[in-house]
Amino acid sequence: MNNISKLKRVLEGGGFAVTAECGPPKGANPDVVLKKAETLRNKVDAVNVTDNQTAIVRMSSIAACSLLKTVGIDPVLQMVVRDRNRIALQSDILGASALGIRNVLCLSGDHHIFGNQPQAMGVFDLDSIQFVQVVRTMRDDGKILGGDDLSQPPDIFIGAAANPFADPLDFRVIRLAKKIRAGADFIQTQCIYNLDRFERWMGMARDRGITDKAYILGGVTPLKSPGMAKYMKNRVSGIDMPDEIIKRMEGVPKDKQQEEGINICVEAIQRLREIPGIKGVHIMAIEWEEVVGEIVKRAGLLPRPVFD
Amino acid sequence: MTGEQKRTLALYYCQNVPASGEKERQDLEEKYRKSIRLFPLPCSGRLETVHLLLALEEFADMAYIITCPEGECRYSEGNKRAKKRVGRTRAIIAGIGLEEERIGIIIGSKDNQMSLSDYASIAMENALKLPSSPVHSRP
Amino acid sequence: MITGEQKPIDEIREMISPYKRILVLGCASCVAECAAGGEKEAAMLASTLRIAAKMRKENVLIKEKTLDRQCVRDFIISLDDIIGKYDVVLSLGCGAGVQAVAEIFPEVPIIPALNTGFLGETKDQGYWVESCLGCGDCMLYHFGGICPLARCSKQLLNGPCGGSMDGRCEIDPDVECAWHLIVDRLTKFGALDRLENIYPPKDWSRKQGKGPRKIVREDQ
Repeated sequence: MNNISKLKRVLEGGGFAVTAECGPPKGANPDVVLKKAETLRNKVDAVNVTDNQTAIVRMSSIAACSLLKTVGIDPVLQMVVRDRNRIALQSDILGASALGIRNVLCLSGDHHIFGNQPQAMGVFDLDSIQFVQVVRTMRDDGKILGGDDLSQPPDIFIGAAANPFADPLDFRVIRLAKKIRAGADFIQTQCIYNLDRFERWMGMARDRGITDKAYILGGVTPLKSPGMAKYMKNRVSGIDMPDEIIKRMEGVPKDKQQEEGINICVEAIQRLREIPGIKGVHIMAIEWEEVVGEIVKRAGLLPRPVFD
Repeated sequence: MTGEQKRTLALYYCQNVPASGEKERQDLEEKYRKSIRLFPLPCSGRLETVHLLLALEEFADMAYIITCPEGECRYSEGNKRAKKRVGRTRAIIAGIGLEEERIGIIIGSKDNQMSLSDYASIAMENALKLPSSPVHSRP
Repeated sequence: MITGEQKPIDEIREMISPYKRILVLGCASCVAECAAGGEKEAAMLASTLRIAAKMRKENVLIKEKTLDRQCVRDFIISLDDIIGKYDVVLSLGCGAGVQAVAEIFPEVPIIPALNTGFLGETKDQGYWVESCLGCGDCMLYHFGGICPLARCSKQLLNGPCGGSMDGRCEIDPDVECAWHLIVDRLTKFGALDRLENIYPPKDWSRKQGKGPRKIVREDQ
């Protein structure tokens, strides 16, 4: 596989991009990653690899991205500022680029108090916006923080996350604008269930003229059960789960609930495609990667473009 | 009282509570000799944790505070403070292995006014339920 | 103010166990304000330790004394006349007080009785909250007088993370989202545009990396 971002090519070519997510294992076995890769291959343009998500120690994201590349998948390296200071972050960006990883999603990261290392020192030396800016300066100016020159700049398509559902609402679009101004090429959003609010947020973003300055991919997560919907409503911060969705999941027999979850997800994707400024979809099927192919197919997004 | 039953009590009290005056205090001190030491306070809120500790340290098997009922304090929340300090002192002595019942609180009743002597006998009755304090080894 | 909390009594008793003549040393400044190490607390701790010793028939001498400030040489030297009577000092000062006493009386062991906490405010009786990191380069102007370094769980300088809901931090609903407070306050003052700036990475060399920080004033 060549070392060009497939995600970037799809987006720059005006296509509607599809990305998925792969959580690395809590262990050193590469086969777990490769097996997930197999179910996602040719179904999506790029696969995000989470970085110790929910602050649980897992195989490193860079290593798992590198494994994905061996089977021809374009990885999106998620990097959180929680665990690494500016020296380690910049060094890992160079290392990732050297390994042919072409997409990086710059994140704050879930707070470590939620994970299995709550005694850890939270680093947070940079915040996610500063991190985006640092990567952009490394790439475009060939300089690290402090101004030293790089012998070769990294080749990175820079991503950032946005949560249209967290508070304070007024500030959410300001923050998106800052991320884009800092240098984000693409944005992947938090899981969208409340499409009305999402549309309002996109409207505010369009009014500021920022939706044509970065590619915005709407995030979706298929629900497996009403219990999962309730859990996300009550326990996962930054999720806006309307009661209608929970009722819909509860309204079908148990053996049809997964299918209903997929239906809701496919409908959301179809609605997202109609929103001006939305350039793709990011499917976060948490530990349910095998369902991504079906969702993409039913949403009418197959086959995915192929590049030489 | 038999020798075995002898206990020493520190009795702190809000002067607004017992339905009796200074005269009764002298009588009580006479009656109980040295086994009760009385500490009148203008308000139970003046009681400090260290007073209770020093009593247990220096002479007492038990230390009691008598407060007015909640809402009756003429300085607004003296009795609440006294209650918190009793709780704190109990936690401290429990931490070093002393029975927390050695610190007590009696909340007076508006409807059923008692004399200082009544309070003293209630406290003394409670004191007798516990062995002598291990802090003071008496022959 | 610097806050502190008394260590568990068992830990204190373990540390002082080799000693027979103990000076419990309070400090009447910050740790008195936070009801951890002032005159009152020194008296309580000394009394508690004496009770514990008497219960176990241990023959120890425990006295208490409180300095106006345990971190200032001029106050510490007042111990000169009495320190010889003790074979250990149990300090209720903050970490600075403990070390200041240790430096002036190098021949006497000194044991901390408190866990030193943070730079904070007294919000209410018995309620203290951290509000300053002592970063060495105050940014409160930019953030409407609310410090995101001390009060945001992720120390973000460019706005709230995605976990803030209803003005509460994702780590604990009892914790206010510092960024929510900042946005509200700047909105009130019509200064929300200040947050359009991308604040660059913090210069942490003002806080650490050059050994213990010093202030040297020639005019003093």
